[in-house]
Amino acid sequence: MIRQEDWKRPGDQQLGVLFDGGKVRRRREWRGVRDTLYDYGRWLYIMSILAKFIVKPRNVKAMFRYRWMANYLAVPHMVDKFTMGLRDEALRIVHTSMDFVVFDVAKTMDNVFRGDRKTGNDEAYSAKCVLTDENAMTAFMMGFPTVKAILREVPTMFVANLLTQNSTTHYLDVAQQFGIPGDVCPMPEAEAGISIEDDFPVLGTCAVQVNTTCDGSLMCNGIIAKRLEREYGIPTFQLVAPMRHREDDVQDYAAQDIRAAIAFIEEHTGEKWDWANYFECAKRVNEATRTRLAWLDINATPYPQFVGAPFSLYNDTNYMGNCGRSPDFPPIDRKLLKYAERGYAAKRMMAPEYRHRAIIWGVQPQYCIDMLNWMVHCWGIVPLTDMLSLVNTKLIAEEDTPENREQAYYDMAWLNENMIMRNRTHGGYKVLVDELWDFCGQLNADMVIMWEHMSCKALTGMHGQFEEQARARGIHLVWVCHDLCDPRVYTRQAIRDQLNAYMRTVMREEPLDPSIEVLPDENAW
Amino acid sequence: MKDLKHLIWFENLLQTANNALVKEAKEAGGVCVAYTCENVPEPLMNLDRAFSIRLFAPNTGSLDVATYYMTAFLCETSRALLERAIEGGFNFADCVVSPDGCTMINRCVENMELLHTMGRDNGRFFHEYMEIPLKADENGLALYVLQCKNHVLAPLREHYGVDISDASIRRAAAEHNRVCELIRAIGEFRKEENPRITGYEFHVLTLATYVCPKRLVIDRLAETLEELKAREPDKKPWRARVALVGSEIDDSGLIKLIEETGAYVCADRFCFGSLPGRDPIALTEEEDALTQICRQYMYRCQCPRMMNMEKVYGRKEYVSKIAREYRADGVIYEQVKFCDPWAYERTLGASMLREDYGFPVLSIDRPYNAAASSGQLRTRVQAFVESIEIKRLKRGGAV
Repeated sequence: MIRQEDWKRPGDQQLGVLFDGGKVRRRREWRGVRDTLYDYGRWLYIMSILAKFIVKPRNVKAMFRYRWMANYLAVPHMVDKFTMGLRDEALRIVHTSMDFVVFDVAKTMDNVFRGDRKTGNDEAYSAKCVLTDENAMTAFMMGFPTVKAILREVPTMFVANLLTQNSTTHYLDVAQQFGIPGDVCPMPEAEAGISIEDDFPVLGTCAVQVNTTCDGSLMCNGIIAKRLEREYGIPTFQLVAPMRHREDDVQDYAAQDIRAAIAFIEEHTGEKWDWANYFECAKRVNEATRTRLAWLDINATPYPQFVGAPFSLYNDTNYMGNCGRSPDFPPIDRKLLKYAERGYAAKRMMAPEYRHRAIIWGVQPQYCIDMLNWMVHCWGIVPLTDMLSLVNTKLIAEEDTPENREQAYYDMAWLNENMIMRNRTHGGYKVLVDELWDFCGQLNADMVIMWEHMSCKALTGMHGQFEEQARARGIHLVWVCHDLCDPRVYTRQAIRDQLNAYMRTVMREEPLDPSIEVLPDENAW
Repeated sequence: MKDLKHLIWFENLLQTANNALVKEAKEAGGVCVAYTCENVPEPLMNLDRAFSIRLFAPNTGSLDVATYYMTAFLCETSRALLERAIEGGFNFADCVVSPDGCTMINRCVENMELLHTMGRDNGRFFHEYMEIPLKADENGLALYVLQCKNHVLAPLREHYGVDISDASIRRAAAEHNRVCELIRAIGEFRKEENPRITGYEFHVLTLATYVCPKRLVIDRLAETLEELKAREPDKKPWRARVALVGSEIDDSGLIKLIEETGAYVCADRFCFGSLPGRDPIALTEEEDALTQICRQYMYRCQCPRMMNMEKVYGRKEYVSKIAREYRADGVIYEQVKFCDPWAYERTLGASMLREDYGFPVLSIDRPYNAAASSGQLRTRVQAFVESIEIKRLKRGGAV
């Protein structure tokens, strides 16, 4: 445990005063003059992003065409969830990362609607777009500077559920009415529901799908691809990421399929692979890797700085959705590192004491991911990092040489195999179970918050092993069960109550801030 | 119909994984290669003195311990296998070869390994995990061949001194083909207007070829084939003919249950069924046997985890083809409860078979042990049979 006796938080002390059971909070948080002004300025910035987005007629049209678009009214509220109780560098880190994610998603959506046949219908633009999966590493697009990779499931499903907890329920109902059982992972199921209801934007000259995170995700691709191919005439390519991705004897296979994917894109877009651009992107991938490792180094100290959901969500966006393709990310990375180093030097803490240092393992409940921030303030548990952020640490070839051009296919394949989540959920129990204990050692963690996504068979299939091995190692393993993006199965409070019960009954601890032990946010976005 | 002479013998073999033939083969010095997925080429596990046994858990009851290890959301097949392994029911195995196919079976086998459920008294025991292609193409074939070399052939030679030469593979393929030819010849009778073998009987025979040493069932299969040639079918016609499609069926009771409602199971397109699982493997001298076997396994594979769209569409086309060939009136898509690949496949398959191919389709999920839910299943199949009869009446045909 680490405690700062002189720790103080300007402004609101009891965070429970912000909640009154409504859709939004009672009022904005008072953080003292300096931080309230900063926070308000960032709020205005987010509003400006939304305003610039909505002034375009095609985006207004999309607002009325697509059911899921209504969720985007809740963007400022989402950012507020991640900044609750934060001051100083921590507040700036969250705003810098999450505001950029908001900017990036707004840009993605603007691109989507520009080419969308049902709204913007810019055919020339659409002809230079390639649809990709939400969970796909976009490494295979690093050599196509003039082709847009459109991750259309990100705004429709993934981000929508961060914004409002009920965003997927309608689409889950649609999928289940079609016949898909209710026990499969709700994320691909909701995506299937969106496709079945024809509520995806339609654009692009071709699509590349990947066997991303799980059997459900792989199988959902077939439903989506059938509609794309047979109804909209958009050919699809299925890119393989081997399951046993740590084995040497699968790498040739993976690299060869990257070659095939690139050839497919060249054929359908008429563009040629650009090696110079690829290696530029590779440099940015390496910079992102180095920066991520630097953040983790700081988190291994007693004063972690860049933690929780923003760490995870920013990494998702940068590592996978971007994958070195945009020059906009490195300056943000550097800015975040600067804040983290400054916070570390000043020994900044988000709460008066850090009682436990936790690694967050498993798959997060999308509609309750802000719980990571809550548990810092409520229980003094600091989330050092999460499973989805523990991805590739190898540097890839970044100089344009004949040997490196060959190596590049293996590097892209490696990145593809190590997309978030699947690099742990596939590859055998060693990457999922054994390496967790290694990370606990490296980051000095005494606790594991185990998101048990009940429909994630790859994770729950190791339930007993996690339990027995944690017990043998003396690590506190807290099961937090949820159903990823369906709040009807586990409400937000039901999720938090699992941690509350553990802390009170097993750890015999009292909350740091009792006013937020029970949050009346069941009706909130 | 008069009972088949060897039916009870075959049925008894299905009462336990460690059945009489497994014991006999082990006593004769055989090396038992246990496996869990149809994507491991069977001839490669039947080389020399090795023999393959597909793990199954007949008469499954409680799944409590496996449910602790894997939660209640994993498919019942994976939990039934793990439970049986923990009980010591698979201790006869000398090794386990498992492809990282569907996640749940993979986790099941990993738990078996971590819990040391097998091989405690066998210093040569090993677990091997294979990568198998997700698409059918030449790149996938290269992977398949390499994986079979690294994770089936090399360990068998290294641990047990099994002859893995091309000649040995060809001998195993010939024996495999003999079993396939017998099963397919027996299965041909299912195309008859009034078939002389029930779907239940056929399933018992077919399942036995997966869970027993092949060389020890050949004689009785051949005898059964001869017996069938002269068998008189019952006069009473079936109410409907159905093709059964989906995840593995280890419990012949499910087929019996369907047939008790008057629906004849004329085609079996499920994991470890005969279509295409008992297609003979044609080998030429122009190429090594391993590559040829892998190619035929990969291209004929109907596993839903094969994800290229030719396969996605091809699986429905295949079901339609066999349904017409075996004169099915309807198709039953089934999945073991909580199986993700077949959850999606049966949904899309049911939709396409109904809308694109014009078949009446029943789509069901079911427990591993059909007896656990027999009332509900029977009601659903009865309703399906009646709906087929009503359609027939509306078309002006006789019931």
